[in-house]
Amino acid sequence: MRLPVEWITAYAPLDLGPEAIASRLTMAGLEVEATEETDAGVVLDIKVTPNRGDCLSVLGVARELAAAGGTPYLGAPQCPSSEDEPPDAALHTGVTIEDPDLCPRYAARIVENLRLGESPAWMQRRLVAAGMRPISNIVDITNYVMLETGQPLHAFDYETLRERRIVVRRARPDELLVSLDGVTRPLGTEMLVIADAERPVAIAGVMGGADTEITQATRTLLLESAHFDWKSIRRTARVLGLGTEASYRFERGVDPDGVVYAADLACRLISETGSGTPVPGVVDEYPRRPAPVRLRLRQSRCSELMGYVPTEDEIAGSLMALGFSVAGETGGVFEVGVPSWRRDVTREVDLVEEVARIVGYERIPERLPSGATTQGGDAPGGALRNSIREFLVGAGLQEVKCHTLVAPSGLDQPEPSLGYGDGARIHIRSALSAELSGLRRSLLPGVCDALRRNARHGLGPLAFFEIGAVFSSTGPATHVEREAVAGAMCGPMSERSWLGATRGAEAFFVGSGVVRALLTSLHADAACEVAGGDWEPDARLHPQRQTRIVSGGRTLGILGELHPAQQAELRLRDRCVVFELDLAALASASHADGGSFVPFSRYPAVTRDLAPRVSRGVPYEAVRGIVRRAAGDILERLALTDVFEGPPLAEGLKSFTVSLTFRSADRTLSEADVEAALTQARDRLRSEVGATFQED
Amino acid sequence: MEELTRLADEAAAEVTAAESTQAVAAIEARYLGGKGSLQALLRTIGALPADERPRFGAAVNAARARLEAAIAERKETLARLERETELASEALDVSLPGVPIPRGRYHPLTATARRITAALAGLGFEFVDGPELEDYEHNFAALNYPEEHPAFDEQMTFYIDDQRLMRTQTTALQGRVMCDRTPPFRIATIGRCFRYEAVDATHHHTFHQVDVFMVDEGVSLSHLKGTLKRFASQMFGGDVQVRFRPDYFPFVEPGVDYAVFWRGRWLELGGAGLIHPNILEAHGIDSERYSGFAFGLGVERIHMIRHGVNDLRHYLENDLRFLSQF
Repeated sequence: MRLPVEWITAYAPLDLGPEAIASRLTMAGLEVEATEETDAGVVLDIKVTPNRGDCLSVLGVARELAAAGGTPYLGAPQCPSSEDEPPDAALHTGVTIEDPDLCPRYAARIVENLRLGESPAWMQRRLVAAGMRPISNIVDITNYVMLETGQPLHAFDYETLRERRIVVRRARPDELLVSLDGVTRPLGTEMLVIADAERPVAIAGVMGGADTEITQATRTLLLESAHFDWKSIRRTARVLGLGTEASYRFERGVDPDGVVYAADLACRLISETGSGTPVPGVVDEYPRRPAPVRLRLRQSRCSELMGYVPTEDEIAGSLMALGFSVAGETGGVFEVGVPSWRRDVTREVDLVEEVARIVGYERIPERLPSGATTQGGDAPGGALRNSIREFLVGAGLQEVKCHTLVAPSGLDQPEPSLGYGDGARIHIRSALSAELSGLRRSLLPGVCDALRRNARHGLGPLAFFEIGAVFSSTGPATHVEREAVAGAMCGPMSERSWLGATRGAEAFFVGSGVVRALLTSLHADAACEVAGGDWEPDARLHPQRQTRIVSGGRTLGILGELHPAQQAELRLRDRCVVFELDLAALASASHADGGSFVPFSRYPAVTRDLAPRVSRGVPYEAVRGIVRRAAGDILERLALTDVFEGPPLAEGLKSFTVSLTFRSADRTLSEADVEAALTQARDRLRSEVGATFQED
Repeated sequence: MEELTRLADEAAAEVTAAESTQAVAAIEARYLGGKGSLQALLRTIGALPADERPRFGAAVNAARARLEAAIAERKETLARLERETELASEALDVSLPGVPIPRGRYHPLTATARRITAALAGLGFEFVDGPELEDYEHNFAALNYPEEHPAFDEQMTFYIDDQRLMRTQTTALQGRVMCDRTPPFRIATIGRCFRYEAVDATHHHTFHQVDVFMVDEGVSLSHLKGTLKRFASQMFGGDVQVRFRPDYFPFVEPGVDYAVFWRGRWLELGGAGLIHPNILEAHGIDSERYSGFAFGLGVERIHMIRHGVNDLRHYLENDLRFLSQF
């Protein structure tokens, strides 16, 4: 809201420069966002919080400034009250309020001998400074009074009103109104309208109608000053998509007791500027007069909540400066009357705030809380997230944060074997763009986008991970939100070096190395399953280069090379490997604290190599499992040191070289012990996977 | 005896002249070994008169000890020289780059969040996670938002349906915590929030927020100020001043926005206040006995201030030219 400083200080005489005034207002809670030099002097752009409708006016701002600046508030301009005049207006019109809940008060005044013209220059200057366009003396006066008092007014052409009377009611089915902006608006039956005897003539509190607008031909006008239910106004304005200066103020609260005063002030200005002749008296229907609010304020409560002990004078002085009545102070308890314009003040604590902000928050000392407390620390999931991050960062992956709201994409599919609901995408209602149309079901689109974006700029290494929430629908109004970690790697993990090219391992094995080491670092027992068994391959991944990671029958996630089609879509030259793991499943598979200590053997180790030749289709995992089981307890360690295909091996064969370390817990192993274990392993490999050995 | 003196002098001269550790070892064997000259000389002791034997024996042993010492010293000197020669031949260009070690980095918001977590945990605040996909009840109704209130204008919301929405503020966690805890408690949460905002250098539809609150007997604005001061000095370093300015949030009363004075300027960090008694009462907490404070802040904002970042959009763009700077 823009207001010139001179208009405000006309009611709060404060001998300060505009910057100092702006600062006082800001520190009192009316934030001055900008100041601007204009023809009408300095103009303040004031941000009024939604609870303070009373400050959407010059008088409201002046009252705050006076209280904060310690200067008297001069009050609203003097004006003869129509309530003291003979009730002539009642001879011209009548007001019927059919829905008093939505319209607690409606006042109408009549102005005759209308002379439409320009408003005086001083008024135009203030209006322009406040950001309003001067239109005509009558419109300008209603706007001027609204800016000064906060009460929106509306002028009808009296002679266009059927039966010359006002009915305040809800719109009837199928009623239409052409509003002042020329738009034909269908009205809903929940909307409050101002009608004459036959038809709606205005959308209450929002905008007037074109049919009853004042024109050059208007001789008599009916001036409306009314109070409306803020919820109803807000709903109507929102449904119609029509926010106005009037609706903005009604939504935030206008003083119901100021209704007639605002009409009288407008009539005074009409009369003084020779724009017309007000008919004495007012038609004022006030069926829902709010009960005056009286609150008890304890000095002790002020000090408990502020942590500062305000004096009785400080309490009473602050409140009275803001227009509260303070009476009957006994034993540190005040009886406080809340002014009609402060509908936001409903409890004792609201009064504490008024005292605190006028006394000044700078008076409040800084103190640390003491006493019993919760055990401070990270969230329950924090430790796992940190362990994963620490590992992946150490392994050379850059952490990224990607969008939760995403467009649909081929990569944004949930891993079905995780077993979370139907996996349908959750949509944002009435989304404005595809990018913000739904919630991600997978982290893969995000981490892959990081590959694409950085590759496009020639940046690297391309190795990213994210920990974040993913969502999927589990029914019409139910969903699951879970945390996942995903990574994507493309090309070498470190920059090229003079020490020799980074070994060109298949992308898959780079990812596999990272994921397996991550699982080991989390003490998670997990195995990799090859696609084709009881599960469908993930369509986002290369059908022959993917694995499902399982632990104790539960799927943790997937690992694999990105499907070449997806890779092409991301415009990436090299193969990419990605993984995505479910954090909850990972947490239950991992023994973060590690297990119990197992005493280690003091006896020497014996190392032997085993080199089974098997057909190409036999997975290493099968060989490893057989050796592990066959070699018994004395097998301490098993490491794959070579995989070989090609001559002199026959076509369709490959050989694994496995290095086995044997050690016993209770004795030095003999050659016979080790040979027995090796023989057992060879025999099992022969019988179970048809392995052959060079010595055969 | 003359023989002994001659032998000793000859040996000493040879040791001094030796040019390698191998040469010294040969000298050692020649004079001191089992078949060496001194050993041989000692065997001649039987030919001496009985009264001369002890003196001769002592003289031989003394000569032996001197020779051993000389040999040891020469060996050490030569070994050092040989080591130096060998090391000199192994010179590297130490200015060449090392073996490249892959190194990742935390996202700057993670690093900032960890810093915030450590500072607040140290003040006794327990972190709790809440869902990003919230319900209307926790995000608004339980936080004292009246229906159709203009306060919603500042919270443009991504709705899923009438009941579900993307949380607009991490404050949504307060009701969840108060449902199953009794005071005293100090709680904090950190997470992602969403508002329908046009994206520019200072606005984003997706951002990260910290929400901190405590409930106990006698909690006042003074405790809020003290906690903020301690927290801010841990985040920014040094002694910082805290300033309150009245502001409005439905869930606090009094409501303030707070700023800290750092490096010569006031930085507005977020909203704060005393938890509205309506909220305490709605969760069965006696608002006469207990009071609480709450404050919030933006994670991005903290990072932007500390590192002079001028565009909020960097945080979700994942460009290495940005990420690699932190």
